[in-house]
Amino acid sequence: MTNAGEGQQRILAAGAYAEGEIEARQQGESGDELPGTPEPHQPPKQEKQRGLWGDAWLELRRKPLFIIGSVIILLLVAISIFPGFFAPGDPNAQNLTLARQGPSADAPFGYDSIGRDIYTRVIHGARASIVVGVLATLLTVAIGSLVGLFAGYFGGKTDSFLARFAEIFLGLPFVLGAIVILSVFNAGIQGAPGTIRIMLQVILTIGVLAWPISMRIMRSAAIAAKQQDYVNAAKALGASHTRIIFKHVLPNCLAPVMVYATIALGQFVGLEATLSYLGLGLQYPVVSWGMMISDSQQYIISTPHMLLFPAGFLVITVLAFVMLGDAVRDALDPKQR
Amino acid sequence: MRKRRMVAPVAASLSAVLLAAGCGGGGGSAVTEATGTLEDPITVQWGEPQSELVPTNSNDTFGSQVLNPMFTGLVEYDPKSFEPKNAMAKSIELSDDKKTYTVKLKQGWKFHNGEEVTADNFVRAWNYGAYAGNAQQNADMFNAIQGYDAVHPADPDGEEGPKKPPEPSAEKMSGLKVVDDHTFKITLKKPFSVFPTKIGYQAFVPLPDAFFENKEKFRKNPIGNGPYKFESRTPQQSLTLTRYKDYQGDDAGSVDAVKMVVYNKAQTAYQDLKSDNLDVINTIPTSALADNRWKDELGERAISKPRMGITVLNLPMYKEKFKNPDLRKALSLAIDREKIVKQVFNGEATAATGWIAPDFPGGPDKGSCGEWCNYDKAKAKEHLKKAGGFDGQLTLSYNADGAHKQWITAVAGSIRDTLGIKVGLNAVPTFGTYQDQMDNNEMTGPFRYGWVADYPTPRTFLKPLYTTSGSANNTGYSSEKFDNLIAEADQAATVDKANQLYNQAASQLGKDVPSIPLFTNAVKGATSNRLAEGTLNSRTVPAITTFKVAQAGE
Repeated sequence: MTNAGEGQQRILAAGAYAEGEIEARQQGESGDELPGTPEPHQPPKQEKQRGLWGDAWLELRRKPLFIIGSVIILLLVAISIFPGFFAPGDPNAQNLTLARQGPSADAPFGYDSIGRDIYTRVIHGARASIVVGVLATLLTVAIGSLVGLFAGYFGGKTDSFLARFAEIFLGLPFVLGAIVILSVFNAGIQGAPGTIRIMLQVILTIGVLAWPISMRIMRSAAIAAKQQDYVNAAKALGASHTRIIFKHVLPNCLAPVMVYATIALGQFVGLEATLSYLGLGLQYPVVSWGMMISDSQQYIISTPHMLLFPAGFLVITVLAFVMLGDAVRDALDPKQR
Repeated sequence: MRKRRMVAPVAASLSAVLLAAGCGGGGGSAVTEATGTLEDPITVQWGEPQSELVPTNSNDTFGSQVLNPMFTGLVEYDPKSFEPKNAMAKSIELSDDKKTYTVKLKQGWKFHNGEEVTADNFVRAWNYGAYAGNAQQNADMFNAIQGYDAVHPADPDGEEGPKKPPEPSAEKMSGLKVVDDHTFKITLKKPFSVFPTKIGYQAFVPLPDAFFENKEKFRKNPIGNGPYKFESRTPQQSLTLTRYKDYQGDDAGSVDAVKMVVYNKAQTAYQDLKSDNLDVINTIPTSALADNRWKDELGERAISKPRMGITVLNLPMYKEKFKNPDLRKALSLAIDREKIVKQVFNGEATAATGWIAPDFPGGPDKGSCGEWCNYDKAKAKEHLKKAGGFDGQLTLSYNADGAHKQWITAVAGSIRDTLGIKVGLNAVPTFGTYQDQMDNNEMTGPFRYGWVADYPTPRTFLKPLYTTSGSANNTGYSSEKFDNLIAEADQAATVDKANQLYNQAASQLGKDVPSIPLFTNAVKGATSNRLAEGTLNSRTVPAITTFKVAQAGE
C-alpha cells in the first residue's frame, strides 16, 4: 500500500498549505522521486514549479511510444491543414476509364470504382475524418467523464438519477437515435445543409448518443477512488467537493477513460461513414475516410486496394492516438510511478 | 441419384444454417423423372405478398408472381417482348364514336373449378374492383370506364387532412353491358386509343362465381382461369401451383408443379440457386453484382435483359435557374452515359437515347433525346455559356435507401469535370421523404427519378410524367404542344396511329429537355441447371409458363 500512502502524503501536504498547495505537493512528490534520479542540470527553482502535468511531461519526453505517436499525429494534423501540399490533385476528379485500376506509378494507391485517385482522396479525406473523430471523442469523453465523476463521487440519489438517465441513451440503438436526431436537425432545410453545419451535427449526435459509455467507466473509477484514504483525509481537512473531485479523484480516474477514448476515436470515424451512407452525414463533394471505406465494401474481393488504403490510414491514426493515450495515461497515473 | 433436399427458408436468422446446407449439397441435385412434378417441384424465389391474393386488390410483384399464371384476362403481355396480344378475347372491336368496345370471348374456357368463363364473370369482377365500398387497391385502373365516378367518387382529401369520401351513388359502372354469354360492351368516358392494351394489366381478369359466393374461402384457395392452378400454401413459407390441364390458351406451361418459396435474403437464395437447391431467382445480391461476379459464377444460367423502365434526372423547372433550356441541355450533354453504364453498371444497363425505354413495344423510341443525350464536352460548355453560366453549387438529390449512391456520384463527377461547376449531392434518407419533397416542389436541383411501364404503350412514359396535369409530373414542365399531342394520340383511331403520335410527343420533349434521360437497368436473375429454359418478364417477375425442365441425366 505504498501508493496509497504516497497519495495521502500529497493530500496532507496540500491541505496543510492552503495557498501554496501546488508548490507543497510538488515538493512532496519530487521528494519521493528525485533522490533516486538526480538531475543536476535542473535548477531547483524549476523543479518547484512542476505540477502533475509538469511531472507527466518530464516522464513523457523519455517514452518512445509518446514520441512516435506524436510525430504521426503531427503529420496527420499537417495533412489535414494543408492537404494540397501532400497531394496537389483534385480529390473528386474522375476518369471512368481508369476505374478500379490497381496501384501504379501514376497513382500509388490506385483508382476507385469510378476512377478517382485514391491517394489524393485519402490525403484530402483526412481533414473531415480527423476533425469528426477527435472532436466527437473529446465531446463524448467530456460529457461522460463529468457526469460519471459526479455520479460516482456523490453516489446515492444523484448516482441513481444520473445512471438511469445515462441508461436511456445507452438503450437507444445508435443508428436509430442518430436518424431521429439528425432528421429533426435537417427538417425544413431545402437542399443539402452546409458542410460545417453537418460536421457539427454529426459531432453533436455522436456526443449525445455515445457519452454513457465513458460515463459508466468514469463512474466506476470514481466510486473506487473516493473510498481511498487520501480522499477521506482531504474531506477531514475540510476541502470542498469541487476541490476533491478535480484535484484528487479526477487524476486517479483518467486512465480507464483515456483507454476508451483512444479506441472510440476509430469507431467514431466509422460512425461518420454510416451516417453519410444513410444520407444524414457528410455528402459529396466532401471526402472522408469513412465514406471511402463504406463505398469500397462491394468491391472488397475484386478491388481490395479501394478498402486497404483508407482503412490503413484510419488504423495508423487510431494506433497513433492509442500510443499517445497509453503514454499519457502512464505519465498521469500516480500509481504507475 | 441423390434425393433432392427441400429447403424452405423462413427467418433471416436461419440463413447461416441454410447457407451451410446449401454448400453441403456439393453439386446439388440432378434432374430425375420426378423433376417438375408435385413430388419434386421446380422452386422459385418468392416473397410474402403484401395483400390478399385477389387480382383487383394485389399490386405488389410477389402477388403478381402467383396471380399472373393463375388468371388470364382479355389481353396478355408476352413475357419475353412485353407485346400485348389477345388471350381470352376473340376480338375487341371499336365503335365509330371511338368510345365503345365490343368484346367477344373465346368459348369453352373454364375456371379451375369447372365453371365456364362468361362475359358476366368479367363485368362482375370489374364492377367489384371499381366499387369504392370494396376498397380495392387497383380500383383506379378502371377509371376510364363510363360510370366509374358514380361507383368510386373522388376522395376529397385536401389541405385540411383526410375527409370522408361521399357514398357511391351506384354499385355498377354504367359503361359495362353484358350482351350475351360471350359478348360484352365497354363504354369509356372519352376516347382512349390504347385502352385495349391497358386491359392486359392483372386487375382486368375475370372472377368465378365462387368468389362472390364465398370470398373468405377464395382468399385461402384462389380459383382462376389461367395456365396454373392453386395447389397449396403455407403462409410465410411457400405456395405451390400445378399445371391446369384443360387450359385453352396458347401460353400453357410445360412444368407440372411449381413451388414459390419465400426468401428474405437475396444472398441465401443466390447460394441455394448455385447449389441447385432453388431453380429460379429474380434478385442478385449486391455482393455478387460487383465486377459482374454473378455472371462469371453462373455463366449461361444468368438472365439479363432490359427492364421496361427508365431512370432520369428530373429538373425542377419551378426554380428560376432551371427555366433556361440551355442550362438543361448543357447538363444533359455533360453526362457521359456510355462510360457510366460500362464502369458503374458493368454493362448491365443501357444508356438512354430518349424518354421511352429501349425496345419498348409500340414504336421503338428512335432517340427522341437526340444530340442532347450524347456526351459532348465542347457543346456542353457552349450551352452553359449561352445560359449565362451557373452560380453556386448544383445539388443533385437522391434517396439514400435505394442503391443509387454510386451512379449518381459518377453523374455528379461527370457534370463537375465537364462543365467546371461546383456539384454536390443531397441524399434524402427515405423514399417517403423524397416523394414528399418531389410532390411539394421542394427540390433545389436535379433529382433522380425512376419509372417502370405499367402497360406496353409509350403513353405510360409520357402522360403521367410530362403532361401539365400528369399524376407524376414532378418537374413542373408544361407545354401546350406536348399536351395537345398526347390528347390527340389518346383519341387516335388505331393503336398504331396513337403510338406514332406518342412518339411525336416524345420528340417534343427532345426540344425542351424537361428531364435528362440517363439509362435503363437490366432485369437480372438466373435459373438452375435443372431448367433448360426460363425467363423473367420485364417487371422482374419469373414467367412460369416459359419454364422447361432440362433433360434427365444431364
